[in-house]
This record gives sequence, structure tokens and C-alpha cells, in this order.
Amino acid sequence: MSQAQIVAFRLALLAAVFAAWQLLPSHGIVDARLLPPLGDVLAMLGELLGRSQVHEAIAVTASEVIVAFVIAVPLGAAIGVLAAENDYFGQIFKPMLFYVFSVPKSIFLPMFILIFGIGFEQKVAYAAFSTIFIVIMSATAAVESVKTDHVLVARSYGATRTQILLRIYVPSMMPVLLETLRISMIFNFTGVMIAEMYASRTGIGHLIANWGENFQMPQLFAGVILLAAVAILFNEVIRHLEVRFSTWRT
Amino acid sequence: MSAIAVEQLSHVYAGAEGGVPALEDITIDVDAGKFVVIVGPSGCGKTSLLMMLAGLRHQTQGTILCAGKPIPEPDPERVGVVFQEASLFPWLTALDNIEFPLALRGTPRDDRRRRAEEMLSLVGLDGFGGRYPHELSGGMKQRVSIARGLVQDPPVLLMDEPFAALDEQTRMTMGHELLRIWSTTRKTVVFITHSLTEAVYLADEVLVMSDRPGRIIDRIEISLPRPRTYEMMATDTFGKLRERIWQQIRKAA
Ligand SMILES: Nc1ncnc2c1ncn2[C@@H]1O[C@H](COP(=O)(O)OP(=O)(O)O)[C@@H](O)[C@H]1O
Ligand SMILES: [Mg+2]
Repeated sequence: MSQAQIVAFRLALLAAVFAAWQLLPSHGIVDARLLPPLGDVLAMLGELLGRSQVHEAIAVTASEVIVAFVIAVPLGAAIGVLAAENDYFGQIFKPMLFYVFSVPKSIFLPMFILIFGIGFEQKVAYAAFSTIFIVIMSATAAVESVKTDHVLVARSYGATRTQILLRIYVPSMMPVLLETLRISMIFNFTGVMIAEMYASRTGIGHLIANWGENFQMPQLFAGVILLAAVAILFNEVIRHLEVRFSTWRT
Repeated sequence: MSAIAVEQLSHVYAGAEGGVPALEDITIDVDAGKFVVIVGPSGCGKTSLLMMLAGLRHQTQGTILCAGKPIPEPDPERVGVVFQEASLFPWLTALDNIEFPLALRGTPRDDRRRRAEEMLSLVGLDGFGGRYPHELSGGMKQRVSIARGLVQDPPVLLMDEPFAALDEQTRMTMGHELLRIWSTTRKTVVFITHSLTEAVYLADEVLVMSDRPGRIIDRIEISLPRPRTYEMMATDTFGKLRERIWQQIRKAA
């Protein structure tokens, strides 16, 4: 199949899903109370985006996501690099990190509530916690993806430590690092959402949980569309960069 | 003055039970402009020796003088290195790979580019400068590696099995090309290989190393005239030289 055909099929599939979403409920084939027609949902989304309560929730969620990300990514990357570069540290901590990585982070949520309450700090702490392990793992993999041969070549041409870092490590690791950013944002976003839906007074996750409990389906679906759009957008931007920086990866 | 003078060099890798003796009592003298080939069974310490000549590793005993001076750390103005297989940086184009050593030294962009273009043309890759390594064939990649090794015009070029990963035909062509480049640049070359044919074809002198710990067990002058031609490979002299090296290696193993 040609690329154009594939794209055409994808668009057709998307259009079919949207059409079904519109037509099935509006013709009474599925219960419109459970699945409101797409048009109603989009209208609701427009309305919600005009409400100051929603603006506030978006601001809260966005700042939680950003702060948690800004904490988890550099910290995790530093720990990961240390684990890969420093034998002692690696041997001592790697198994433990792997074990914790395999445990679902949500079971720790009640502890975070006990320690931090249900405010901003708890959301950030929990999201950072649920993100940091994947960052550590990926950063370790990124360092290990640097070829010793390349370092040796650079050394043979008299590269200093800084030059080796900037001209060999950074470009070697770039594709894996971008991938890490992308995937850690998924974990991070999920962390904030779970924390907000579980116990919170504000935030998009809190609104969505409320709409669900109160059976406000148009609002619920509008929230889902909004979050999905933001998540997909971030993912695609990073993926675009990834492709640019990894043409050489074969 | 010799381009490379190694005297009574020995090396032991640290490890259990006093370590692994890798090289023993190596003495080598290479005159400027000579093409010396080192052959020997794998694991006999050839790469280790080359690393020491490049200042990338320190021997436990003995001295190395390169252009009359010790080489305690890499000095790309004295010694260029071409590594085994593809050691090109995959994220850089051919031209940027060649410029890499100059970029490290902060050579201005225009000078760098001009010099790299010259090298690209020397190795017969005009017009391929914008390609990435994965867009080049194995032979082309090694041409780029050679260009990178020569970009700072060092008097000595060290090559560690540079054509080992190439198919037989490409390997022959590359050997021939290397001789052409060598004859225009007049570098001192130390070249490591497994291939006896390659050794005889390229060398002024072949050094045969023993199994580990590596010692030099024979030095064979290759008196075939230059420029070398493919036809020479079919001659008696060529066959006898090749045979003599083979006998030495067999005895050593
Ligand atoms: N960094 C090292 N540490 C310990 N032993 C090494 C190291 N590098 C090489 N060796 C050992 O030294 C011997 C010679 O290796 P090398 O120089 O790579 O041989 P060759 O290039 O002739 O195949 C081998 O037995 C190898 O295992
Ligand atoms: Mg070797």
C-alpha cells in the first residue's frame, strides 16, 4: 500500500468513528445519555472552555504537570546517568530501582495523601514519583547506547572530557533522551490525573471524576477530548523532534 | 631519525594472578615514510600496541618515541588513527566526520570545510560529503575514516584492521587506494591486518607477532617494486613471501 493510501485509510477510519459517534446516539441506536452525540460534546467543550472554573482547573493541572515533570526528568536523568557511569552506585541501586519500577505506582497513592495531604504538593510528589523510574531506566539505557568506540575515536583526536560529553554523549543519547521525554510525559500526566481523580478539590482530573459520578456525560466526554488532544499534541511534537534527531539510527 | 621507535616494550593487563601479559619485549624501528604491516594471531596484542603508539594506553614497561618524543597522550598532529570497522559518528555527515578533529581544536569553519573537502577528494569521494555514514558503503565509510585520520596532516598514520569488515574485492580495491593515498602524502603507516595477501601487497616490511604475550618473531622485508600492481600477486616472489609469513605464524600459534 502506498503512503497516500495509508493516510487516506486512516482519515476514513477517523471520519467513520466520528460519524458513528454523531449518528448512532442521535438516531437512538445507542443511548444518548451514555454516549452523547459528538456535536453535543463539542458544543459542551466550547462552553466549558469559556467557564472560569474550568480555566482555573486547567491552570492547576498544567502547573502540577509541569512542576512534576521539571522535577522528575532532570533528577531521574541524573540518577540514571550515575547508575550507568558509576559501577558501585549502579550495582547497589540498579536492582532496587528495577524492582520498584515493576510495582504499580498507584498503590502508593494513599501514602502520598497521608504525607502531603490532597493539595498541589501531593499531586506533584505523586506524579514525579510515578515518572522518575521510567526516566532512570531510560537514562541508563541512553548512556549505555553511547559506543565506547566513538569515545575512543574522540580521545584519539585529543578531545577533552567536556568535548566528549558534548560531541559524543549528547548526540549519541539524543534519540533515546527525546523518547524518554515523550514516554515520561505519559507517565507524568497519568500520575497527575490519577491523583486528581482519587482525591482532590480542583484540577481537570477532579472535574472529570465529578462529571462521571454525577452522570454528566457531555461534560465527561468533553474533558476526555480536551485531555486527549493535549496529550497527543505533546507526544507528536516530541516525536517529530525524535525523527529529526534519529535519521542516523538504523 | 625514525618516525616511530619502540624499545623493549612490555605490557601486562591488571587482573587476577599477576595479570594478563599482553606484550613482551617489543622493539620496533620505523623509518619516516615507510609502510609497516603487523600480522599475528588474534588476541596477541596488536590493538594494544597500536593504542600505545597512539597515546591512548600506557605500556607497563619500555619506551615509545614518536618523531623523537614520547607520546603520553593522544596527539593528533603527530599521529592519526584509523579504527577497525565503522567508527564514524553516525549523526554527522561524511564531511562533518572528517572535520571533527579540526572542530575539536576550534579551527575556523571555512578553513575546516576547505581542508575537509580536500581530504574528501583525496580519498576519491568528491560529491559524497553530505551523506551520512548509513548512506555509504563499507568501503566508502573506510575512505571517510582515512580522510578523517589524515585531516590534520600527521606524519604517522596508524590503522587497525581497517578493511577487516569489507568483502574481498572491496578490500583489494581499498588496499590499492590506500597505497595511492600513501604515495601522494608520504606518511609513515603502521597497518594491522589478518590478511597475509594484504600484508605482502601493502608493506615495505611485515612484522610477525607471536601468540600472547605478543612478541615480534620475524621481520620480513618486502622488496617488491612500487607501485604495486594486482598482477604481482600472481608472481613467485609474492607467493614465497606470503608463504614465509604463514610459516612463521603457524610456528607461533
Ligand atoms: N582493556 C583490557 N583489559 C584487560 N585485558 C585486555 C584489555 N584489552 C585487551 N586485553 C587482552 O589483551 C590481549 C590482547 O588484546 P588485543 O590487543 O586486542 O589483541 P589483538 O588486537 O591482537 O587481537 C587479549 O588477550 C585481550 O583479551
Ligand atoms: Mg585487534
